[in-house]
Amino acid sequence: MSVARTIAVGFDGSRESESAVRWALLEAHQPHDDVVVVHAAGMLEHLHGALSRDVTPPRVLVLARECNFNEMHLRWFVDDGDACSVLLRAGAPPINADLLVVGSRGKGHRAELLLGSTSLEVVQNATMPVVVVPTHSSL
Amino acid sequence: MVLIVNENYDDAGHEDPGHPERPSRTNAARSAIADLHLGSDLVTAPFRVASRAELLLVHHGNYLDELGAFCYDGGGDIDQDTYATYDSWEIAKSAAGAGLSVIDAMRARDDAVGFVVTRPPGHHALADRAMGFCLLNNVAIAAAALVRRGERVLVLDWDVHHGNGTQQIFWNNPEVLYVSTHQSPLFPGSGFAGEVGGWNAIDRTVNIPLPSGATGDILQRALEELAAPVIEDFAPTWVLVSAGFDAHRADPMAELQLTSGDFAGLAHLATSFAHQPGRVAMFLEGGYDLDALRDSLHATLAAALGATTSTESRSNGGPGAEEVTRAARERRAAIEALHILETSERAP
Ligand SMILES: [Zn+2]
Repeated sequence: MSVARTIAVGFDGSRESESAVRWALLEAHQPHDDVVVVHAAGMLEHLHGALSRDVTPPRVLVLARECNFNEMHLRWFVDDGDACSVLLRAGAPPINADLLVVGSRGKGHRAELLLGSTSLEVVQNATMPVVVVPTHSSL
Repeated sequence: MVLIVNENYDDAGHEDPGHPERPSRTNAARSAIADLHLGSDLVTAPFRVASRAELLLVHHGNYLDELGAFCYDGGGDIDQDTYATYDSWEIAKSAAGAGLSVIDAMRARDDAVGFVVTRPPGHHALADRAMGFCLLNNVAIAAAALVRRGERVLVLDWDVHHGNGTQQIFWNNPEVLYVSTHQSPLFPGSGFAGEVGGWNAIDRTVNIPLPSGATGDILQRALEELAAPVIEDFAPTWVLVSAGFDAHRADPMAELQLTSGDFAGLAHLATSFAHQPGRVAMFLEGGYDLDALRDSLHATLAAALGATTSTESRSNGGPGAEEVTRAARERRAAIEALHILETSERAP
């Protein structure tokens, strides 16, 4: 019998991050594992109040239903900061992720060509295993 | 005292329509300075662009190359908060140069207060990454240039956000003391009281996180109780202030409740931290409500110059006293733990 793990997956609303969430729900997940959908709240998001901290966004719930995922094992977690720092913190309390899943590109992906990608930086600095889901994933 | 500010230059090319970090911010700051009617007591430091060598005191060379190339390629969104345009690279280098120029002008005398009117702001910029509206860390570049001259620099950051970039850059540098008051939780999610500096610089970082709704009395008392003794021990030869005005109660970016009168109090405090006259230079960081920015800067500079002016009364009565007590406890525990580790590492 395997021990239940916590899988964290980054979500910024982009299609790339939806692919990552699907992969986490369908491929990484084993019975009893929890999946924590992690969202980085930046300065502008604090200003505009884009996503609720307490309520899982409808889009994430739709993804869970499409993947036949038991919502009992799904958590929504918003942390203040840039995407890179927030994703790296998923390995520490309160999430303590055993595995981190990220899309290959986040918002601002044109800059990533020159200024380095979030996923690459996460991979380089993570203290837990990281899966990078390609943008053109079939999922 | 005279006020030294950087020569005005055109920063309008660094703009993303609808973004709160906008050119009208520096116009508001300029008008606050003009309203002081200082006449010949207002001195202008000449325009200059920071050299690559100066930027390299803080930033990684490949980051500078990539940021420059990104801008010349037309720019765009760097992350969910931060943008750059074709002009941003030159404007950011001018902002860094402005700080260096103001400090050069101050060094030639001992009766000046410096204020650096620039954008984009800088305190979130890491050595190798832009974030939180910031491209180059202006205050860190100025501090590093002073350290190279043998100075001991206090960076006092009263912007409502934690200056994670400045903290990271000087984390292990005993010649720079970084002190920050900020709302927490809030972007960038760092700045906890237990963050006290690295191995070589234990107790050279002082973080004072405050809850939403905290007022000026709490913030000022926290600085006096937690930071002032550390600053006294450190004995800075220069005080650089990351002067953001987004802790003002009218600012839409956060929920602290400061008034312009509170910023006057903070300016007095910053001046008291300097061991010699003429060694306090302030750098514009955040501040997104233009009226609050103008009034707060006006009050700050009037106080720093020793002039009297009418401002909003100081705020008081907000939450935060318990958090400050807890912060003091967390700081002591973190410092103790580092000292114990240090001792055990050095044991044979
Ligand atoms: Zn700020």
